[in-house]
Amino acid sequence: MIFRDLEALGILGINNRVGRYILRHNKRKNYPLVDNKVLTAERAAAWGIAMPENYMVVENYGSLKNLHLKLQHYDSFVIKPAKGSQGNGIIVIKEIIKEVVNGEARILCRRSNDKLMEIDEVKHHISGILSGLYSMGGQSDLAIIQAKIDKHPIFDDYSYSGIPDIRVIVFEGFPVMSMVRLPTKSSDGRANLHQGAIGAGLNLSNGWTNNAVIRNQVIDEHPDTGHKISGLKLPYWREILELAAHCYDMVELGYLGADIVLTPDKGPIMLELNARPGLGIQIANLEGLVPRLEKIREVAGQKLMARERVDFSMKNF
Amino acid sequence: MKKFIVLATALLIILPICMMTYKSQVLNLSLLPQMVDDVWNFHLSVKPKGEHRTFSFPIPRPGVGVKISDEKLKSKDFEIFIDSSSDSNLATWSSQKVIQNSVTYSARIDLKPIVYKNIQKDFTETYPKALNKFLKTPDLNPEDEAAIALLETAILEGTEDKTSLVRKLYYYVQEEIQRNISNRTIQATLSTGKGSPLIKAKIFNIMARRKNIPSRILVMVRMPEKIEQAEDQKLRFTFANEVFLNNKWIPIDTNRGHFGERPDNFLVMHRNFDDVEKLLSKKNVSYSIQADRARINRYNRAEYKKEVVRSDSIFGRFSLYRLPLPMQTMFTTILLIPLGTLVLALARNLIGIPTFGIFTPILLTLFFRETSFGFGLLFFGVVVLVGILERYVLDKFYLLAVPRLSIILTLIILLMISYSLFSSDISVISQKHLAFFPIVIVATNIERLSIMLAEEGLINTSKTLIGTLIIAILGYLLFSIPVLEMFMFTNPEMLFAIIGILILIGKYKGYRLSEFIRFRDLVRQKNKLKARLK
Repeated sequence: MIFRDLEALGILGINNRVGRYILRHNKRKNYPLVDNKVLTAERAAAWGIAMPENYMVVENYGSLKNLHLKLQHYDSFVIKPAKGSQGNGIIVIKEIIKEVVNGEARILCRRSNDKLMEIDEVKHHISGILSGLYSMGGQSDLAIIQAKIDKHPIFDDYSYSGIPDIRVIVFEGFPVMSMVRLPTKSSDGRANLHQGAIGAGLNLSNGWTNNAVIRNQVIDEHPDTGHKISGLKLPYWREILELAAHCYDMVELGYLGADIVLTPDKGPIMLELNARPGLGIQIANLEGLVPRLEKIREVAGQKLMARERVDFSMKNF
Repeated sequence: MKKFIVLATALLIILPICMMTYKSQVLNLSLLPQMVDDVWNFHLSVKPKGEHRTFSFPIPRPGVGVKISDEKLKSKDFEIFIDSSSDSNLATWSSQKVIQNSVTYSARIDLKPIVYKNIQKDFTETYPKALNKFLKTPDLNPEDEAAIALLETAILEGTEDKTSLVRKLYYYVQEEIQRNISNRTIQATLSTGKGSPLIKAKIFNIMARRKNIPSRILVMVRMPEKIEQAEDQKLRFTFANEVFLNNKWIPIDTNRGHFGERPDNFLVMHRNFDDVEKLLSKKNVSYSIQADRARINRYNRAEYKKEVVRSDSIFGRFSLYRLPLPMQTMFTTILLIPLGTLVLALARNLIGIPTFGIFTPILLTLFFRETSFGFGLLFFGVVVLVGILERYVLDKFYLLAVPRLSIILTLIILLMISYSLFSSDISVISQKHLAFFPIVIVATNIERLSIMLAEEGLINTSKTLIGTLIIAILGYLLFSIPVLEMFMFTNPEMLFAIIGILILIGKYKGYRLSEFIRFRDLVRQKNKLKARLK
């Protein structure tokens, strides 16, 4: 069989992920909690899980008209679709430029990739979000205007613009595997593996990077900064894992991907959750998910606290 | 739970097989309707000129490559006698009164091509007496005689065997004499290089006989091609030859260029023109011949319907064959769709081919099927282009998404209209009311393509696009197997088996083929590490 090697390494394939883990451990009724970021934010606030502040939620086209009046109060913000997936439709505005041309006030927005957008273009993008261009099923959607997060200084040498995030796969509340995603030039500042970001695997026991990939290919150095990727140790490692484990209690999805960012001031905060996390994390770690998942299955019935579950994972993986 | 699934799946797959076995073994129904060959509806009507109480005319005769059924000779006022003593049939109508109206002959005729390959050299010297009349050279006037003798010395000199003689003769008459009906004498034809089919056949005939090769002129009808199958098209007689080589009559057509073969669009009316020349002459008779394809459908649905109804079983009462014909055609296509989903499920879940939307490939397949493959592909390409162009152009207008998608849709419909108006080839569109429905649905998916292009780049988008096309093409290839289509229509219970197979695919937890490639580097790195540790 040509799949012998994959099986021997315990690599989780898509069919297996869906059939054995997602469909069996994730209740459909809980999906909206992660698929709709407005609901995630509400639930997280109730549970005391830190998330970026939502400035406002744009719910209808009517509120677009005077949007610029509200937006100009902020120095920076992020626009995202509430039901988006894979980072599609997200725009990061890092600076608002107000100028007066021929007596007319004009607002320009500088994106994280330094491209300038007129305020009308921003509004147009939001209307695209509202009509469902970026939402998962194509249904109409809400747009979230969210506080922009700053990069933690530890990533200065490891990231080309954009904010790195930490993906933790959580199975029945146990952290299973983790990686840090580092934006590159080719990912256009986005921390998304299939858009060309770097995925660097992390040792669950200590938060050190172990290996890195870009588009399924193993690499040693950051292609833009030239910095060696191994030898990065994430601060707040235990907090990160506990935050991820805690997300399981919040949304009750057995197979979950938690995206966590490090802020310079508040430590790790949860950015978003994913009910169908990708499989590229296995390449980033050079490790299959299946053996770890099966090991967790053995102890999953024990009703442990998040802290205890993190202990288990840090000890075993 | 697991047992239940296994049981249900087994039941779903076994049940239709049992039903089919029951149908074929107990009810004695065939699993597929019988094949029907393309058959010609042949119609001949003849009226003698002048006052006659009796007259004769050749009619087709069954033989090698010719099957005749449902022969009808209208006979209310006539006594009809068919002379089949030679190897042609000659019908004679006789009446008490002077013949005023046309007499008709109609039949179903099944024609098969005749081909003689590798005709051996022939050195025969003497022939049986019965062939003598095919060796007799007719009397010619001196000019014709001289022209033929001249040609003979020019092209046939020194040829030993009769097969080679015939071949040389054939090439000369076929290639050097153009078809032109104005020249009516041998001498004029040979000197100008232009002659009617009959003159060409005559020249060939005379020259063969002069070389002691038995030869005769055939009276034939050339059946109409598909495109010229106008309903009231009248066919005329045309002429060809047969020569007796190696104890066989070998067909030769110097007009259409067939040596040793007769294609299946030629029907022989009479095998010796000499015998019927007078009967066919325009002075004596007026005739009209019509022929059209009796069936384009290769399967005999009507017969199967009778079979099913006769069986008087539950299958007979609920057979799709009881539906009116247009609905049958519709269901033939619709019943293929589940097969398409099977292909789709295999391609996506076992191979891992990415596609736009879930059912877009099947919609494309339907579009290909309803129009044609080339046209379908072209039109899809245009739709994709329109989608991308639209996005580039209308991007500046900041339109809301639904009106924008509606604009794409409207543009596609505009394209369809302009295609039908400006193209001479309307056959793609006419009569297929639903043909464009799938592409209209696909069009709404197209804007996602331009978004994907913007967000995920050309490589990912092309992969998805190509994946979509590959599955659509696979589906199309599957849909073009006529047996499959008839099988599904005849045995729609197979749908349960398809559900069973889909459950099996749905339960497949193994790797996709694409994952073998995706995790290739992982495996390689892991093996490298292992090697280093050793």
